[in-house]
Amino acid sequence: MIQHTQGPAEQFNIGEMIFHHTGDAHELDFQPLITIELPRFAPVHVGPLSIDLSPTKHVVFMLLAAAIIITVLKIAGNGVRKAYALGQAPRGFAGAMEALVLWVRQDIAMESIGHESGAKYAPLIMTFFFFILVCNLLGLLPWGASPTGNLAVTGALGLIAFGAIEIGGMRKLGFKGYMGTIFPHIEGLPPAGAMALSIFMAPIEILSKFVKPFAFMVRLFGNMTAGHFVILTMFGIVFLFGHFGFVSWALGVTSAVVVLAVMGLELLVAFLQAYVFALLAAVFIGLMQHEH
Amino acid sequence: MNDLPAPFQPTLGLVFWTLIVFVLLLIVLTKYIFPTLVQMTVDRENAIKQQMADAAQMRAESAAALEEQRQLLASARGEALAIVAEAREAADRERSIAVEKTRLEQEELLARARREIGAERERAVADIRREAVDIAISAAAKVVGARLDVAADRKIVEEYIASIAGGARG
Repeated sequence: MIQHTQGPAEQFNIGEMIFHHTGDAHELDFQPLITIELPRFAPVHVGPLSIDLSPTKHVVFMLLAAAIIITVLKIAGNGVRKAYALGQAPRGFAGAMEALVLWVRQDIAMESIGHESGAKYAPLIMTFFFFILVCNLLGLLPWGASPTGNLAVTGALGLIAFGAIEIGGMRKLGFKGYMGTIFPHIEGLPPAGAMALSIFMAPIEILSKFVKPFAFMVRLFGNMTAGHFVILTMFGIVFLFGHFGFVSWALGVTSAVVVLAVMGLELLVAFLQAYVFALLAAVFIGLMQHEH
Repeated sequence: MNDLPAPFQPTLGLVFWTLIVFVLLLIVLTKYIFPTLVQMTVDRENAIKQQMADAAQMRAESAAALEEQRQLLASARGEALAIVAEAREAADRERSIAVEKTRLEQEELLARARREIGAERERAVADIRREAVDIAISAAAKVVGARLDVAADRKIVEEYIASIAGGARG
């Protein structure tokens, strides 16, 4: 992950190093081996917006994540199919992947959304889980980067979750039923009072609809970025105190041990955040589907 | 450092790319990858659903069959009771007919016996009467010492006896 070989501490800027590694870039940095420049396109203008569609480091790593997911699950799928064709239960890697996929499908998607709509939304929840998981894990590899440590990526994922929750809810509940989620039906009040309170509640309900994807975006981004920041800071210590003689050795070993521990924690966080994102998306979709 | 913003500043281009990559991945996984991995479970789910539907149907069918049996049993019991009642009625009728017939036969037998007894008695009385006439004439002939006109005397004696019999009866 750390390939910086800057010299003395005077020239080393830990903040710059951290941003360089967590930020997006127009090149793939495999220092000291190679740096690959990515193509640049002219920005596309949509109304007042200027969108730069040039592929970046995070785009490449997202594509890599997608390729890894497709390959791994395809191999597992073949193993599963072969095993069932022989009348056996899948074993080893195929069995483990089948168990993981089924766990996401049954225990996260179906359990939270309900069996009626669950099967329809299960692929989305499973894709959320595996995409986020692999994106998270890619950041832990040498020269790797976590697209999920970028607000644009987590924002887009939040947007997809928002679409699934709201559009799915609209399709399930119909226009009138969906409006009921904005203007809640309040019981135990005279009609005029209930209506006034319902209108009063509407802005809060609308706000809560947007808070959910916003929380998705910030939670995933925060968790992934924070982990990387901690790891890079710990590594930065090595460079900061590199010229301190004997102390630098002690610090180097200490920081390496701490980084190793934090890496272990990050491994857990990678799974946990994928689980949390998938679970909350499923829960919110389920809540919307069963809204009355 | 390059001219791109830090991770805190999202770029619309990356949002666009994320949407594209994610949606494509979703389509590929949904269409080609997930079905193989979840097929067994889905099949099992469907099989369980089917079994539950079958079980519900069978339960409904057996309930209907039970109800039908119950109705059949009830109607059979009704029929049996009707048959028994009918049989009892028929038996009663037969018995009363038999009793009546026996009674009539008895009465007839009795009447015939009475008739025969009466006829025998009449015959016995007539015989006694003839004997008495003969004895009386014989006795009277002995008394008067002459032969009496049999026919005329017989008539007198017979009238006399008849009068006695009539008096005795009267």
